[in-house]
Amino acid sequence: MSGAPPTGLEVFFEQYFNFDALFKEVPNTNETWFEFILDGFLVTLELSLIGGVLSLAWGLILAVIRQLPGRAMAPVRAVTIGYIDAFRGVPLLLVLLLISGSLPPIVDALGLPAELGAPDWLGRVDAFWYGILGITLTYGAYMAEVYRAGIEAVPEGQMEAARSLGMSHGKAMRFVIVPQAVRKVVPPLLNDFIALMKDTSLLYALALTPGEVVNAGQDMLVTEANSTGFVFGAVLFLIVTIPLARLVDWLIKRDQAKSRRGGGGVAGPPVATEPAGGPAGATA
Amino acid sequence: MSAAEEMLKLEGVHKSFGKLHVLRGVDLEVNKGSVVCVIGPSGSGKSTLLRCINLLAPPEEGQILLEGKEITGGKRGKRGATEDVDFVRRRVGMVFQQFNLFPHKCAIENVTIAQQQVLGRSSSEANDKARSLLERVGLSDKVDEYPDRLSGGQQQRVAIARALAMDPHVMLFDEVTSALDPELVKEVLDVMKELAKEGMTMIIVTHEMGFARDVADEVVFMDEGVIVEQGPPSEVLGNPQNERTKRFLGLVLAN
Repeated sequence: MSGAPPTGLEVFFEQYFNFDALFKEVPNTNETWFEFILDGFLVTLELSLIGGVLSLAWGLILAVIRQLPGRAMAPVRAVTIGYIDAFRGVPLLLVLLLISGSLPPIVDALGLPAELGAPDWLGRVDAFWYGILGITLTYGAYMAEVYRAGIEAVPEGQMEAARSLGMSHGKAMRFVIVPQAVRKVVPPLLNDFIALMKDTSLLYALALTPGEVVNAGQDMLVTEANSTGFVFGAVLFLIVTIPLARLVDWLIKRDQAKSRRGGGGVAGPPVATEPAGGPAGATA
Repeated sequence: MSAAEEMLKLEGVHKSFGKLHVLRGVDLEVNKGSVVCVIGPSGSGKSTLLRCINLLAPPEEGQILLEGKEITGGKRGKRGATEDVDFVRRRVGMVFQQFNLFPHKCAIENVTIAQQQVLGRSSSEANDKARSLLERVGLSDKVDEYPDRLSGGQQQRVAIARALAMDPHVMLFDEVTSALDPELVKEVLDVMKELAKEGMTMIIVTHEMGFARDVADEVVFMDEGVIVEQGPPSEVLGNPQNERTKRFLGLVLAN
């Protein structure tokens, strides 16, 4: 062993699968890099869940506004479509930088409470909430398009039946159309959620502390000159995303079986939007 | 008939979809309690006529009066105005060719949802009403089934119960047996016969000539967006005067 220079394979394993480095203590703390990166992944999960729930809600609101009927609502629809187009077409990273760079002075100039410009709710720092805002604005737009596909896939007869029973457009949407639409789009929404979860890594750019999992890996790289923290982070992602991807497949298969049976139930073929992995180009 | 109360009156009704001029001036009077069967080749405007009457497709020209009130004017003469729509949908029930049951709701929920959300009935009131209506259409054992577990005939009977739950004054039936397997047609027609016997005002678009002969007070033959011939079934079906009616009946009855 001694003397001979290490082979490429040895360096590869030394760089990516170095358990000695992973279980070293983080300087000036009493936890190991293993625990440090696990903590980072908890931040990733928090961002994903909070951002995911808010995006689901915001996307549905946008989709419903987009379907408001009548000429009087045309400007409202146009603004909504403009918003969706804008946020679907701009990188999340750019949105995040726009928010974190200039939100506090704008909030200040508007005379709003400073708390809105630099929130510290739930013991999370402002960068965390900038991330949530950017994710919600961007993924709300993606998800609005998914919901729209679902709403448009509900047969027209459903709206006619609801209207002929005296329901207003709003009640028909709420009790008849949206419940069916949401069931149709669970698989593509889950796909978007997978993409959203991966995109939380873009908060790297906001210097969030404590950082999410990619940031934590970078801390280890800088300190230990070793990438094992990144590999561990990747494994943590896969532990969550692979079962989700399998769930999506299973849901699609189940719905296809249902519509083959010809039940004519809620199922119908699930609405495909983007391929798994979500909106292309969201991550750099 | 002269003493009969007028339920519905159409005068010069026109309806187009884009360049397609579907209704080209339809006049029709329907008395309270009478059953009108509308027959005619496909594309003749029969379904559009029903959609005009309940303002799912407000006509561009002409007048429709429901119980003496014009429903094609609105406050400022706006066609399809909200106040008209509310007035109409509370009085006119509709049953569709494709049933259009709400697939995410079981039979009884299909019948209760609009009662609660539109008429503001309590859940127990709506449920009682729904149960008695489902019993009336012979489905008291299917109350909790979802539409995809019901046959076409059963689904259509739920749809009839759903419309009746709103206490309509007029019922519109749009080819309600056309999507059914032949052996399921009778159970739906039987329910409709019962309704007719009980005095419901009904406008029925149908291809079932035997049913029209048995049940209708009046048969209306439509072709190319106008009413070509109308009268008692014995005349229109038994002794048609117009060439187009004769040709149509010749084709239909040849089968």
